Amino acid sequence: MNPRSIGMLKMLKLKNSWRSTLPRCFATKITTVGSDEIGSGTGIGQITGGVRNNEGGPHNVNNPSTKIVTHLPPLTEPLANLPEAVYAQPLADSAVTKVTTLANGLRIASEPRYGQFCTVGLVLDSGPRYEVAYPSGVSHFLEKLAFNSTVNFPNKDAILKELEKNGGICDCQSSRDTLIYAASIDSRAIDSVTRLLADVTLRPTLPEQEVNLARRAVSFELETLGMRPEQEPILMDMIHAAAYRDNTLGLPKLCPVTNLDSIDRQVLMNYLKYHHAPERMVIAGVGVDHEELVEHVTKYFVEDQAIWDTEKLSDSGPKQVDSSLAQYTGGLVKEDCEIPIYAAAGLPELAHVVLGFEGTSHQDNDFVPLCVLNIMMGGGGSFSAGGPGKGMYSRLYTKVLNRYHWMYSATAYNHAYTDTGLFCIHGSAPPQHMQEMVEVLARELISMADEPGSEELMRSKIQLQSMLLMNLESRPVVFEDVGRQVLVSGHRKRPEHFIQEIEKVKAADIQRVAQRLLASPPSVAARGDIHNLPEMSHITSALSGKGTSTLGRKLSLFK
Amino acid sequence: MALRVLGVTQNMRTFMRGVDLIKRYKSAATLQKTLLNIPATQVTKLDNGLRVASEDSGASTATVGLWIDAGSRSENEKNNGVAHFLEHMAFKGTAKRSQTDLELEVENLGAHLNAYTSREQTVFYAKCLSKDVPKAVEILADIIQNSKLGEGEIARERSVILREMQEVESNLQEVVFDHLHATAYQGTPLGQTILGPTKNIQSIGKSDLTDYIQTHYKASRIVLAGAGGVKHDELVKLATQNLGRLEASLLPPEVTPCRFTGSEVRVRDDSLPLAHVAVAVEGCGWTDQDNIPLMVANTLVGAWDRSQGGGANNASNLARASAEDNLCHSFQSFNTCYKDTGLWGIYFVCDPLQCEDMIFNVQSEWMRLCTMVTEAEVERAKNLLKTNMLLQLDGTTPICEDIGRQILCYNRRIPLHELEQRIDAVNVSNVRDVAMKYIYDRCPAVAAVGPVENLPDYNRIRSSMYWLRV
Repeated sequence: MNPRSIGMLKMLKLKNSWRSTLPRCFATKITTVGSDEIGSGTGIGQITGGVRNNEGGPHNVNNPSTKIVTHLPPLTEPLANLPEAVYAQPLADSAVTKVTTLANGLRIASEPRYGQFCTVGLVLDSGPRYEVAYPSGVSHFLEKLAFNSTVNFPNKDAILKELEKNGGICDCQSSRDTLIYAASIDSRAIDSVTRLLADVTLRPTLPEQEVNLARRAVSFELETLGMRPEQEPILMDMIHAAAYRDNTLGLPKLCPVTNLDSIDRQVLMNYLKYHHAPERMVIAGVGVDHEELVEHVTKYFVEDQAIWDTEKLSDSGPKQVDSSLAQYTGGLVKEDCEIPIYAAAGLPELAHVVLGFEGTSHQDNDFVPLCVLNIMMGGGGSFSAGGPGKGMYSRLYTKVLNRYHWMYSATAYNHAYTDTGLFCIHGSAPPQHMQEMVEVLARELISMADEPGSEELMRSKIQLQSMLLMNLESRPVVFEDVGRQVLVSGHRKRPEHFIQEIEKVKAADIQRVAQRLLASPPSVAARGDIHNLPEMSHITSALSGKGTSTLGRKLSLFK
Repeated sequence: MALRVLGVTQNMRTFMRGVDLIKRYKSAATLQKTLLNIPATQVTKLDNGLRVASEDSGASTATVGLWIDAGSRSENEKNNGVAHFLEHMAFKGTAKRSQTDLELEVENLGAHLNAYTSREQTVFYAKCLSKDVPKAVEILADIIQNSKLGEGEIARERSVILREMQEVESNLQEVVFDHLHATAYQGTPLGQTILGPTKNIQSIGKSDLTDYIQTHYKASRIVLAGAGGVKHDELVKLATQNLGRLEASLLPPEVTPCRFTGSEVRVRDDSLPLAHVAVAVEGCGWTDQDNIPLMVANTLVGAWDRSQGGGANNASNLARASAEDNLCHSFQSFNTCYKDTGLWGIYFVCDPLQCEDMIFNVQSEWMRLCTMVTEAEVERAKNLLKTNMLLQLDGTTPICEDIGRQILCYNRRIPLHELEQRIDAVNVSNVRDVAMKYIYDRCPAVAAVGPVENLPDYNRIRSSMYWLRV
C-alpha cells in the first residue's frame, strides 16, 4: 500500500463523518456508507480505486460494499455441524414394467427406479389426429390450459403451490396422436400428485377467462413462430398435411389463426368428454411403488367423477371419437411467403423444402431397419455446434452438405405412428438454389435403395443403440417410453429388446425398407420464396424413376 | 430457461439448441432424501496435481471430460480468441491420429465428443457407452496433449470460426451478453468476447496456440470428471496412464482482478422487430457466501415467456405484470458468476415501444426486493431454487458437468445436503441485505440492441436504482 492511499482513506473517513450529518432520506442504512464498511474490507486496493473516483466530491455511493451480510463460510469451505452423509451404492438398472388394467379399461404401468424421486403422468390417445369433427387447434389449446383451475384447485397458483411443496414440476405436451400430462416430484408425494393429475385431466373447470388467456398464449406462440427464421414446426405441419390430406395425421398441430375464435369452453369440454375416457388413458409412473400407485389411481380416477359426468353439457358437439385409419395420399403443400432472416449480416434468406414418403408404423417389422436408415441418412445444419459424434459421416453430411456449399441444412426425420409413418428429409438453401436442392435431395432418396456399405451400416447401428441408451438416462424419457408403449401395445418392450433388434439389421433389410418407402407417392412441402420449385409432376416422376436413364445421364433431373 | 438460475449456461459458447420439452419434467425431490440415494462423489489428486472426480451410478452410459481452468479471461488484447481457437483445433488431429481417424473412431463408437469455451473455463468431454470409457479418456488426453496444430488446419479453422462468428451474431441474446460484458468489464480481460475480434482470428498462428497451451494447460489446473457407469479407481488409473505426464505448474495461476464499471452500450437498429436489453449490477464471485442469497433473489425475479401465458397466476411478480400488461415477449433473470466478480441482472425482449414500461417494472421489482420482499415469496423462491438445482442433475452429462465445474470453482463438490442447508438458511432479511448490498443505489451496466429508442437514458435508469422515500 502506498502512502497516498492511506491519506486518501483518511480523507474519505472525514467525508463520511461530514456526510453522516446530512443523511439522505432513503429508507436504508446502507446508502450512507458507514465507516465500518470501509475499514472491514480486505481489498484496500478496491477502496483506493473508489477514493480516486471520489476526488473533489462526496459521491462515494458506487464503492462496492464489503459488508458481510451472509454469516456463513464461503462455498469453498464446508459448513460446520453438518450431519454425516450416507451415500448409495451404484446399482445396475434392472426393472420390469408392471401393468394393471382396471375394470373401466384404465391402464396403470409402472417401473421402479433408483432414486427417491419419480415421474408420474398420463399418456392419452388424443391429439390433433382426432380433431376432424372439431375446429383444428383443440389440442393446442388443451396444452396451454393444462394445470389450470379444476374442481378441487381454485387456480393454477394453487396447483403450482401443491407441487412446489414437494419440489415438483409439471408439464403438458401434445404430439399428433398423444397428449401427455406429467409431473416429476418427490416419490413420497405420490398421493398428492395422483390427486392433482386426476383433477387436471378429469375435472378441469375451464372458466371463460382461462380459455381467453390460452387463446392469447396460442396467438402469441403463432406470432413468435412467424418471426423466427427456424421453420421446423410449421414445415412439419405442412408435410403431414401433404402426406395425409385432410385426414387424421394431416390435421394441423398448430392452431390455425382462423380457428382462434371458434374454440371455446363448450368445444373443449365436449372434446375432453370423449377423448379423456379411461380406456384411452395410461397412467405411467417411474420410480414409484406399483401397488401404491394403483390404490391412489383407483381413488382419484375411478371413484371420483369427471366434471363432464357431473355437469350437464349441451348436446351440440360430436358424440364419438374419430376412429379412422390414417390414409397416406402424398401430395404438395406450399406457401409462397417471406421467411424471417437471421439477424447477422451476410446470412441469406432461405427457402425450405421437405420431401417425404410413407414410412412404417412403430409396430411394423420394418420399424427398426427404418430407424437405422434414418440414422444413416442423418444430417443437420451445414454449420452446427458439436464435435465428432453428431453424425458427421451420415450421408446427408458426406454427400450433400459437404459437397454443396450453398446448402444450409439437410436433415432426415422418421415419424412413426400406430398405423402409419412418415419418413422425410428437410432441406434449406437460398431461393435461387431451390431446384438444385430438390434434385440433390431426390438423388439421395433414390440411392437409399442401393446396398449400404458395411462400415456405414455398422456405424449407424451402433449410433442408434447408443442414442437409445443415452436418451434413457433421463427419467422423464423413460416415463414417456413406458406410457407410449403400454398405450399402444399393453406392455413395454425392454431397451435390451431393441438393442438386439438393431443388432440383427442387415443390408438387405435397409434396401427392402428403402424400396418400400420409394414405392409410395411422394409428399412435398415447400415454404419461402419458392418460385424455383420444380413442378410436382416432375418431382414425382423423378422420384418414381427408380434410377432410370434420365437420372444417370443428365445432370439435372428436371429438364 | 429456469436452468439459467445457476448462471452456468449463460456464458458457454456451445448452447443447448432449443430445450427439448420433455426435459422440462425432470425429477426433483427434497434433498434430504436424495442424499441417501445418490452415489458419493470421489475425488483423487494425482502426483502432478491433476484432480480426478467421479460419481458412479452403474449406468450403461457415461460422460467423462476434462475441465480446464483457462478461458478467454486468461487472454490479453493481442491473443484474445486463442482459447476458443484451440478448442476448435482439438478435433483436427493429433500426432497419433488424423482428423478423419479421430472423427471415425468417435462416430464408430456411437460416442459424442464435444467442447466449449467460456470466459473462465475450457471443457472437452465425451459421452459414450460405459465399456468405452477407457477409449474416451485416451482420446481426450490425446487431443489436449498432442494436438497437431498444422498450418493447413489452422488456416481452414480460421474460416470456420469466422463463420461461427456470423452464427453467434445471429443470436441476439449472445450479442447482448457480449455487449454487456464489454461494457461492464471494459478495459479488463472479462470484457473480451470468447471468439475474439476478427483481427485476432485472422492473425492467430501456431506459436500463439502452443504458447497458450504451455502457459495454461497445467496438470494442477485440470480436472478429469466422470459420471454414469464409471468406476473411480479405474478412472484414476486411466488418468495416471494418459495424463500423468502433464506438467505440474509451480505457481498458482494469476487472477487479474476485473473491475466492474457501471456504464451502457446501445446498438440501435430499427430494422429489427424487437428490442433486446440486458441490465446488470455487479454480483459476487463463485465462492462468495452471498452467492446463495443472490441466487434466491434471482429465482424470485424469475423467468417468463409470453407463449407460456399464466396471467395472474405466475409465481413471479414481474411475470404477472408482464402477462397482464403485455410488457415484453420474454424475460429471464440471471446470476452469472466468475472467480471474483459476477453479473446479476435481467435480460428481456420486448416490442420497441415497451422498453420504458418494461424497465420501469423491472426496476420497481428490484427496489421491492431491496426494501419489502416478503417471507412467502422468499420461501417459494427457495423451494424453486432447490427444485431447479436437482432438475439439472438428470443424466450423466449434466452430472459430469456439475462435478467438473464445482471442482474447478470450489475445489470440492458441495454435498447436496450442505447445499440444501445453505439454501434453507436464507431468510427474508438475508435477501433484503444482499439486494441492498449489490443492487440498491448501484450503477448498473446496460446493453441494448435493436429498436431501443424508447429505452430511458442511462441517467434515468441509474436514478431508478434507489427510491426517494421516507
